[in-house]
Amino acid sequence: MSTYLLVIVVLLPMLAGALIPIIPFKTRTQMMIYIEGAVLLNSVLVISMLLMPPEGTLVLFRFTGNLSISFRLDGLGTVFAAVVSLLWPLATLYSFEYMKHEGHEKVFFMFYVITFGVTLGIALAEDILTMYFFYEMLTLVTLPLIMHTLSKEAIMASRTYLYYSLGGAAFAFIGMIFILTYGTTSVFVPGGVLDAARLGDKTNLILLIYVLCFCGFSVKAAMWPFSSWLPKAGVAPTPVTALLHAVAVVKAGAFTIMRVTYYSFGTDLLRGTWAQYTVMALVIFTIVYGCSRALKETHIKRRLAWSTVSNLSYILFGVTLMTPLGLVGALSHLVFHAVMKICSFFCAGAVIYKTGRNYVHELDGFGRKMPVVFVVFTVSGFALMGVPGLCGFISKWNLAKAAVASHNPLAYAGVAALLISALLTAIYMMTISVRAFFPGRDFDYGKLRGVEDPNWMMLLPLILFVIAMFAFGLHPQPVIAALESVAALMG
Amino acid sequence: MDYLLLLPVFLPSLAGLYMLAASFWGHVTAGSLEKQQEEGKRKRIHLLTAVVLVCSAILALCAAWSGDRSVTLFYLMKDIPVYFHVDGVGRLFVTFVSIVWVAVGFYSFVYMEHEGEEERFFGLYLLVYGILVALDFAGNLVTMYLFYELMTLASMPMVLHNGSKEAIMAALKYLFYSMCGAYLGLFGIFFLYQHCTTLTFTAGGTLNAALAAGNRGILLAAVCAMLIGFGAKAGMFPLHAWLPTAHPVAPSPASAVLSGIIVKSGVLAMIRVVYYIVGPDFLRGTWVQTVWMSLSLLTVFMGSLLAFREPVFKKRLAYSTVSQISYILFGLSLLTAGGVEGALLHTVYHAFIKSALFLTAGAFIFQYGKTRVEELGGIGKQMPKTLLSYTFAALALIGIPPASGFISKWCLAQGALGADVGMFRWLGPVVLLISALLTAGYLLPVTMKGFFPGKDAAAESSVRKERLGMWLPLAVLAGLSLLLGVFPNSLISYVSRIAGTLM
Repeated sequence: MSTYLLVIVVLLPMLAGALIPIIPFKTRTQMMIYIEGAVLLNSVLVISMLLMPPEGTLVLFRFTGNLSISFRLDGLGTVFAAVVSLLWPLATLYSFEYMKHEGHEKVFFMFYVITFGVTLGIALAEDILTMYFFYEMLTLVTLPLIMHTLSKEAIMASRTYLYYSLGGAAFAFIGMIFILTYGTTSVFVPGGVLDAARLGDKTNLILLIYVLCFCGFSVKAAMWPFSSWLPKAGVAPTPVTALLHAVAVVKAGAFTIMRVTYYSFGTDLLRGTWAQYTVMALVIFTIVYGCSRALKETHIKRRLAWSTVSNLSYILFGVTLMTPLGLVGALSHLVFHAVMKICSFFCAGAVIYKTGRNYVHELDGFGRKMPVVFVVFTVSGFALMGVPGLCGFISKWNLAKAAVASHNPLAYAGVAALLISALLTAIYMMTISVRAFFPGRDFDYGKLRGVEDPNWMMLLPLILFVIAMFAFGLHPQPVIAALESVAALMG
Repeated sequence: MDYLLLLPVFLPSLAGLYMLAASFWGHVTAGSLEKQQEEGKRKRIHLLTAVVLVCSAILALCAAWSGDRSVTLFYLMKDIPVYFHVDGVGRLFVTFVSIVWVAVGFYSFVYMEHEGEEERFFGLYLLVYGILVALDFAGNLVTMYLFYELMTLASMPMVLHNGSKEAIMAALKYLFYSMCGAYLGLFGIFFLYQHCTTLTFTAGGTLNAALAAGNRGILLAAVCAMLIGFGAKAGMFPLHAWLPTAHPVAPSPASAVLSGIIVKSGVLAMIRVVYYIVGPDFLRGTWVQTVWMSLSLLTVFMGSLLAFREPVFKKRLAYSTVSQISYILFGLSLLTAGGVEGALLHTVYHAFIKSALFLTAGAFIFQYGKTRVEELGGIGKQMPKTLLSYTFAALALIGIPPASGFISKWCLAQGALGADVGMFRWLGPVVLLISALLTAGYLLPVTMKGFFPGKDAAAESSVRKERLGMWLPLAVLAGLSLLLGVFPNSLISYVSRIAGTLM
């Protein structure tokens, strides 16, 4: 396939999104059809491109020398692009129903669709400059989405998000400069690009820069101590928290870290150094920290956001193992967590949309009133806990397998952290389900009159996600084999 | 491929799921039934449960006792199939599980009348049976873990059946203790996966000697974590606390199978890990063995003591389970053929005895609502058959010859004396003996007060209130615990054959 497609899929959503406020739609249905059509078309383009990968690079424009905005499709990008493009149309469908009660739809959908293109830009970026460019842009286009309700809380949250992200990007920028200086090329190459000859005796310096760069990019992946923006950003409408704050934005953070670790700095340089231990220790701490905070939190969406903090660090933990197996574990959790978490967020969103209830203790007895939503929520809870048969178990298995195989004592502690986190996950997810299904003997269901499952636009994505969770959990081999072929390049 | 193995797994599971869905759907649509319809529906539920239960039990026994069958269902991961295989231990487990499950099932048809929500209960009951059969037939570690977790999740709603606040909290406690244990087990599985040639159960272990030699320390720690983790289900200190909380609030048939059967899956998991994956040779003489022996003896003693001073009948029985299961674990921890033999015998006997005891407690609750031991004075007049069966089971548990408990405890003590375990050689039998005395102390007063309430006891009505559907299953279980002690030879020779293959 032509390499032009690489840039088309990035620009098409941006253009389509920008046109939304301009086009004079006669009815809401027209707008819905236009938006869903654009998103779906783009997804189809991406998927067909992934199936018939274009060879070579497309340079959009060149600044000077080797600095350019250019795109290329490789294994890692394929994974991220596939996840994003499969989820975006479903999330859009869900948003049509959900956004009815939020208002300002045109603005919302404009940025929602633009973000699709920007995220694909990160996935398809060929070099670190392009990736950095889209990474910054992602911050800017998602900012209005957090601000959406324009309440004081939302504005504060978006401000926090902005400061954290820009600060992180600054550190990432330092890393980029060093790679451009000491690397043979700015392009991503499996195994890294650093030039040993130019490096000389500056190894320790470059390790320090790696740690800074890791921390910078990890802001989006919400690693402790940069995690607090994510739960705050939960004030955004649920489609945003579900798709962007559980998948696109936060996983862009994890994705960029994979890029710099495996494709720029190179794992051979980092493995076994203090830099690896430092970032791994931070990540392991975050795994437990996120879960503990989730346990304490009674606001459903914030609880899920803290859970995301913890689960993103599962991914980062796989990355910091710095072995091909670790990358397989990280990627499998990147894919599977996307499905599980977007699913549980959508369930929470359905509750908020139908009843306006936001807190865990308000959910007594909902199981019988919103049967589909809560059965799905329970399944997603099982998946997050890592019950075998669902996809969460597979990614946990791959992560732990990689950790044990790395023969790194700190990684053993990481395995323990994964399991502590699983236990805490069981607690914070199951308490919700038990409450919903077993509200107590004398519970008066009359109080819940009018509470019911939402319509098909909200239920269809949920059901598809449940099918996906079982399919990946029972027959993960095709996906895992694909991920292994990506990681195999690392040697 | 041998699909006969899958039938007793899927038949009850699917029937159970169907009933659960029907029960849930009934609540969602909130249709209310006339009294007559209600009665008809109950009958239908009972009939369906009975037919499925009996059929699956027969299928399970057929599958178990007709050769070494095995079947690979599908591959969960590249090198890890979901794989079922019948071997000696699995055969033994599936047999007593099926007998107890059917007996308790019939008892529940009467008992659950006063608990309500029967469709849900029997749905879960069938589902858990299917899962247990799968657990017993599991042929590798990951398959076993899969069904181990499913069992926890499916049995949890049985605990919170009555829906009271207390029951819900107890169920959550059960869930979290079990999960904590399961994750400790999983921690070990991750390490064993790297250091074993295969995770398929093989008598004597599959540890890769070359790999294991270099990582002895971490492997021992992993195995220790697994023992403590799977010990959670088996009620071993320090993760035993869910048992005395969950048992009293659950409906009595549920506590009977929890105590008699489900805790045994912890035992099964330990047998599988130690004797079929790691291999007893690797652990013999290490600190892990010492820890295991100490924890199990501590639990034996502590459980008995707590049972002795517990006034609530079902809670007393729950503590008794804590103590008795650790008899089994002590036998396993000796890592000798003698110890395993005693442990397996006690596993079988305790299953029959303890479910009989809980069914008795249930009968008292069902007929008179009496939950505390001191209320049971003179109950022998009203429920003689029940109390008599109780007495037989109690004698068996204490270990009075010729009842069954005597045989297993004798084997355990002999196993301890014959093992090369330092001071545990004599400490073990001593603790077992003290605990036996305590067992007599906490079980027999019920019989004595029940039959001989004393002169000044309030003259309660001596009208007999016993339902055939309740005392018959109870009598069968009590009779089995007696008979297996009088005619133990075939069981002993079967068990010692298994133990022989493991060393």
